[in-house]
Amino acid sequence: MSTIFKSLYVNCKPMVKLDQINISNNGLTKFFSPIEASILKTLWNEGEMTTSELTEKTKIPLTSVAGTLDRLVKAGYTARRVENVNGRVRYVYEPVFSEEEAATEITTKILDSLVDAFGPLARENFSKYSDKK
Amino acid sequence: MSLSGEFNCIGLCLRLSDFTPFVALFVVVSIALLAASMMLKRPKERLMTFVSAQVAILLAIAATFYLMKCSYMLTFYLYLAYVIISTVLIFAVLRNYDLILIKRLQAKPAGSIMKWAQEFVDRLTSARIYYFDSAVPRAFAAGRSIFVSIGLLELLDDGELKAVLAHEAWHIRNNSRTPYLKQLALMTFSSSSDSELEYMADCFAAEIAGRESLSSARNKVDKVFI
Repeated sequence: MSTIFKSLYVNCKPMVKLDQINISNNGLTKFFSPIEASILKTLWNEGEMTTSELTEKTKIPLTSVAGTLDRLVKAGYTARRVENVNGRVRYVYEPVFSEEEAATEITTKILDSLVDAFGPLARENFSKYSDKK
Repeated sequence: MSLSGEFNCIGLCLRLSDFTPFVALFVVVSIALLAASMMLKRPKERLMTFVSAQVAILLAIAATFYLMKCSYMLTFYLYLAYVIISTVLIFAVLRNYDLILIKRLQAKPAGSIMKWAQEFVDRLTSARIYYFDSAVPRAFAAGRSIFVSIGLLELLDDGELKAVLAHEAWHIRNNSRTPYLKQLALMTFSSSSDSELEYMADCFAAEIAGRESLSSARNKVDKVFI
């Protein structure tokens, strides 16, 4: 996918919905469902993958993965193309966003919402937080 | 006349008419056939007795309306409207439902990517195979079209795919008859015997593609081809 298309996607489609964020969960499941998180992580690590490679790597049965993959493609998190090899068709998946892009988007979203809620107080705490690190 | 008045009139007519024993007879026959259909083992016989039970109920409904002497029958007109609407739905809409599905699923003819599959189905019935963009393995028949998802195509091997296609081809072959079963079910306020039909489609698929192919396809994707 071309970079122009990618950035267009980032700008017009919110990657993470704020109402889905659950800070008491672990890792990526704060922002995604467990299966979505597992698929995205695997795709970030491996790059392009077929459906069978994905089910093998994530160890999640196809019946659970398939619906989630449809949802991820529809939501624009992952892209897929159809390959025709020796008369057999298969999907090849790739992530639309890199892990860094996703992290930036999520961080910005959360910082924005903190500023929205607490105003200058939030900004003060940001600088305290970065000084401490 | 009010609806409660009409119900009183129906009760009165049923009590006074000479035809009432016929209505009772049809109902008793229907219950007997229904019991028989539950006890029978072979799907074809079950289907036949179940349909006979539905026909008996239909006769009971017809006899009831025939013996009515009420001047204005709202229930009759309501039932008539219900029958007309369901007939239109089943025979006009359901039969051309594949055209709607092709648009909605943005399905494409599968002959371009899997020529052998279209040729295989051509030998069984006149239907076109369409594939649509979804990772969830699914297959279904509507009108004169068979729909398969790409998820199904990448999951099944050729033998298993043949079993699924033969199953769907059976549905298409019987598309001239199965709507009548649906119609009968709607007119008698009962269910149509879908599980028997699915079983018969599976028998056909096993005959064409082999029992092993069918059961391994069923194991891989149970409940996704109907």
